[in-house]
Amino acid sequence: MTNYKIIFTGPVGAGKTTAISSISDRSPVSTDKLATDMTRNIKKTTTVACDYGTVRLNEKDRLHLYGTPGQQRFDFMWDILTTGGIGLILLLDNTRPDPFQDMEFFLEQFNDFINQTQIAIGVTQMDLNSTPCIDDYHKHLHSRGMTLPVFEVDARKQCDVSLLIKALLFSLDPGLVENHD
Amino acid sequence: MEGHTKPVRIAALGMERRTYSTLQLFFHGHCKDNYVLVEEKSADISIIDMDGFQACRMLEEHKKHYPNQPAILISLSDKKTLDAVYVRKPIQLEALSSALSRAKEKLQQPMARITPQLQIADSECGIPPVLNEVVHNPQHDATLMAATPANITPVDVTPPNGKKPGFKQVNQYRYSAGSLSDDTDLELLNIKPTTRFNPHNPIQTAQYQYQPQQTLQGYFQQAYFMALQQQRNVVLKGPWRPITILHKSKQLRVEKNFRHLYALSGMFFNKSEVSITVLDDSVNCEPSLHETVLFAEPFLWKLSMRTSRGRVPEGTDFTVPIKLIRWPNFTRTIVTPHALRIAALWAKRPTSLIDTASYLAIPLQYVFLFYTATASLNFVAAEAPEKNNPAAPTLPVKRHKYRTIFQALLERLRNN
Repeated sequence: MTNYKIIFTGPVGAGKTTAISSISDRSPVSTDKLATDMTRNIKKTTTVACDYGTVRLNEKDRLHLYGTPGQQRFDFMWDILTTGGIGLILLLDNTRPDPFQDMEFFLEQFNDFINQTQIAIGVTQMDLNSTPCIDDYHKHLHSRGMTLPVFEVDARKQCDVSLLIKALLFSLDPGLVENHD
Repeated sequence: MEGHTKPVRIAALGMERRTYSTLQLFFHGHCKDNYVLVEEKSADISIIDMDGFQACRMLEEHKKHYPNQPAILISLSDKKTLDAVYVRKPIQLEALSSALSRAKEKLQQPMARITPQLQIADSECGIPPVLNEVVHNPQHDATLMAATPANITPVDVTPPNGKKPGFKQVNQYRYSAGSLSDDTDLELLNIKPTTRFNPHNPIQTAQYQYQPQQTLQGYFQQAYFMALQQQRNVVLKGPWRPITILHKSKQLRVEKNFRHLYALSGMFFNKSEVSITVLDDSVNCEPSLHETVLFAEPFLWKLSMRTSRGRVPEGTDFTVPIKLIRWPNFTRTIVTPHALRIAALWAKRPTSLIDTASYLAIPLQYVFLFYTATASLNFVAAEAPEKNNPAAPTLPVKRHKYRTIFQALLERLRNN
């Protein structure tokens, strides 16, 4: 069996675990523990190793979905997780004090990986806080010379997460063909 | 009312749902109910859409059964007939008002036998090529679905074997303005292009272009970008309920029944009928009980699609490479067929409209549809000529080594 992987990253509480859950074939392995640091103010549990889910593609191929821990103290794992990956999904929480700072941080951290592959960005929690808007994210990316897919995403919704992944795939290969019924 | 105690009764024949709704709005608003839509046998005047399915046969039948009933013919083509009032599409309010007045005058004239001069062959009807595939292809659902009360008739000319072309809705849309709401949207997404489009043929290219300036789309774009540029809220007024544009949140305050705005997309409005006003910061922009708030981008996206009907804005160069400046927020707006592929291609390597259809092996009409929607929001730009690389390879992007895997993943995501 041949294995491929897509990495989900982003700050604490952005919805990485939830997003992986929404498209995995079965309940993903979660390495959540009770949060003991400042994370506990955001949510009760936090990913201490990584989340893991799978999507079976066919008889012999499987796609692995890895969610990186959001806290910076686990950044040593990020390089390990991205090795051999085909692309990156960055989820940003629009309710955080400075989502642009978060975006800058993760774009820097994964800069080499992004240059070798592609990235698609999902902005979560926009129903709770609609500003900054998607256009504002694009303006920030434009100042970096980047034109990337940035979508509003509800991490619980399979359709939103699927579309984000599709954007990543088409960014990797626009020649892909998608069948329309 | 104009010298009549009762409204003049109008039959609308061969009309698609959108045009029918537009007429209803026009009679109710602009004409203050001086006209009312009724079924054919009760009508004083008939308006016949000559671009519809089997329109010529419908006209002949009408003349045969109602020879003394004045007819107003509406069409994209320039065909005029001797004993009918003619209005060219896109319909201007003044032209339609004038046509109705002339038809009313004919009503008041002594009855005269109208000789059957309208032996118009189908081939002479001049149905424009833009619609050709839709109206003549029996595999398509014709554009004439009626959404009317049972006692009012346009003719439902759905072919007996006609299967509504399907489109799999990709997302659940949180923003109602961006959703697929009716058959007209589905028709848009299933428009088939004509073959052998020659971008260097000015006659052919003119048929695939439209002028948004004096449509609701054009005025809305003016108001929207004014609001963003001036960082002020703006209100757009015209023969519709006011639309307030909130610049900070990029939202609109509109009446709850906002979907009727799409029905106006095919109409032209004089500048004198429309006003764009910058609001003072102190003006309260909270929605009233009869209003709702929408996001502007999905609204304009859909409005431009409805207005363009598969065409591109006038002045578009079909051969200049197009660059994607900004990805659309696809999770919250209509994903037109092949939109993601086109966006990815234009982000990776600017490509002309013609070459895009060729490289991706997709119908040109879907490239046009995507281009028009993105252009309306300034998400794309023509690449400056000096940046064009004449040494660019024929295929702008090469096949990814994992394409087979990506294809399998796409299939899995589609089936989820």
